[in-house]
Amino acid sequence: MNLTDIKNTYRKLFVVEKAPEDKNKPKDLKKAVKDFWYGKPHEERRLGALYVENTGLYKHREWRGVKDTMYYFNMIWLYNYGHMVTDIMKYGGGTPKALVDFTKGLLRYRWMGQTYLTAIHWFDRGMEGMRGEEMRASAWHYRAMVSETIRQFMEMFASDKKLHGGEASEQWHKNIAHNETVSGSVFYPFRDVLEDIPLEMITYFVSVHVNSHTVLNYIDAAQSIGLPADPCPMCQAEYGLFIEDDYPDYSPVMVTTNEACDGSVATSVLQDWFLNRPLYAMPQPMRYDDPLVQKHCQKEIEGCWKFIEDQFGVKFDWDQYVKYAQSFNKLTEFEWEKWDVDANTNYYPISSVAQALYRIYYSQDGDRPIWHEIDDHVKRIMNKTVKNKIVCFPKTRHRAIAWSCAPLYYSHWTTWAYNCWGINCVINMDSLMFDQYLRTDTYEHALEDLGWFNEKAPMRAMAVGGHEHILSLFDYMERFHCDMVIMYDQLQCKGMQGIHGVFEDEFRKRDIHAIWVPHALPDKRTVSRQEIRGLINDYMTTVMHEEPLDPTLVDFDDSGSW
Amino acid sequence: MKILGKFIFKLIKIAVFIYGLLFVVFYYDLDGKFMYYIWEPLMIKRFDNMKRPDTTLTPYGMRDNVSEDF
Repeated sequence: MNLTDIKNTYRKLFVVEKAPEDKNKPKDLKKAVKDFWYGKPHEERRLGALYVENTGLYKHREWRGVKDTMYYFNMIWLYNYGHMVTDIMKYGGGTPKALVDFTKGLLRYRWMGQTYLTAIHWFDRGMEGMRGEEMRASAWHYRAMVSETIRQFMEMFASDKKLHGGEASEQWHKNIAHNETVSGSVFYPFRDVLEDIPLEMITYFVSVHVNSHTVLNYIDAAQSIGLPADPCPMCQAEYGLFIEDDYPDYSPVMVTTNEACDGSVATSVLQDWFLNRPLYAMPQPMRYDDPLVQKHCQKEIEGCWKFIEDQFGVKFDWDQYVKYAQSFNKLTEFEWEKWDVDANTNYYPISSVAQALYRIYYSQDGDRPIWHEIDDHVKRIMNKTVKNKIVCFPKTRHRAIAWSCAPLYYSHWTTWAYNCWGINCVINMDSLMFDQYLRTDTYEHALEDLGWFNEKAPMRAMAVGGHEHILSLFDYMERFHCDMVIMYDQLQCKGMQGIHGVFEDEFRKRDIHAIWVPHALPDKRTVSRQEIRGLINDYMTTVMHEEPLDPTLVDFDDSGSW
Repeated sequence: MKILGKFIFKLIKIAVFIYGLLFVVFYYDLDGKFMYYIWEPLMIKRFDNMKRPDTTLTPYGMRDNVSEDF
């Protein structure tokens, strides 16, 4: 490498080009000091110029003014790196063995070694351009998700046969492995004696949000043995983990489900083959609110409980169920409070991506202490913004609702849409699922509600659960005072593809601005992020006739980004 | 007392230096650049070259007399 190469590399990685109109401007010291202290106004930030071409990395991280930059550095960057280490120790048992297990897992599993160390960039992408209370509240949500992710993989690693010479530890015999789409709430009756850990939540789902590169290996692995390429790529990735032998072996049993669709049935079949151990398949009815299926759904849950009792020699514990269900209800109550503020005020301090991911994560995962801890932080911030009437996301031009399943590799498109066009995606379909209070007064009520809860799972309630539910979009649109729909078009979701035309008709009939966003869930190769942005750009210029707030964000290459 | 004061001052100096260094890493996204250009390629190489069993050779059971269940 010669000096010119070094110079070019330095320019590529660190030097932010000035805007052409700024090049010959005389220096304004007063403004420079003001920008340093408070950060630049939204329209002058030029966030797109901060990117290293193609990578999504930053030439330098954004200067948000002294107060917010120091908050980001201390309370987000340093705090979260530090807490990742303490969480690894804490959830690994607090002994040096935790570090050994972590290192073994890091070097054994692609979804771990290639993915999760880049977690802080996940924060960066989710909080681009944010200031003040919305930055703080959103970051707390990310902190919770990181902590819970560490808890889950440390639990897996501690009892993983593959990391311990094929030996089954004592804990291995006390773990229940289950599909990520089986609700954690089903296992409350056994939480004092057993540990329920979803198998694909960390290995697949969260990994795609953090680093979208890893999952492609699992999708390709599925297709490499001749499995069809057109089912949902989520299911392909889930069974691709098994074909690649990249799943941790931490439990003597498996509980699977058909949620969300036929692709998940295939996952169950393949997992049954590859795991070769007792497996209980707990289906969720497609036409889930048909009264005739309720008893059936409840019987399936009871069947799962019986399966656990038989396999582990433990007893269903009603008191444990009540304890965790009541605790979980507190999370639901706060969620309703959040929706109320979000729907009716401009003081909601949580970004769209933080709202969506946190909600889907904790409601699927079930009651855990970290969710309560974070809700306390967020409650304090939200109380402050409401009490002091602090307008969050002040550049909002449109209040949008996002419907159907989101692109996992670009869940943070909402941050871009706000920064570039002022589209504030105030709510999304994933946030609205699991909207069910769990009664605990009698066993019958508890089972009935748990059945409903289970049926209101991601993608079932409003994606493939019957057109009445899918079209509830319009009720929510009104409730959250939205003037725009971002309509996700998951190209491999046969359920949602089937109703595409109905939506077109309804949008036209109701005169609603709707932007279709095609994607292939975790697979960024089918529709790139840049193409998604292009579609939104086209709509905003040709239909809405609007100018971007930050023109540097209109077109940039991040194809190689995490 | 003087030695203790000097020691504390030295500790503060080291802490300030480390804090400043970390801020440079943060501001210039050096953590991201390290992960992207060094760590991830190493990991990809490692996992691409990792020997994996052919899981399709996993035996599968077949139930006899399935028709009798109906």
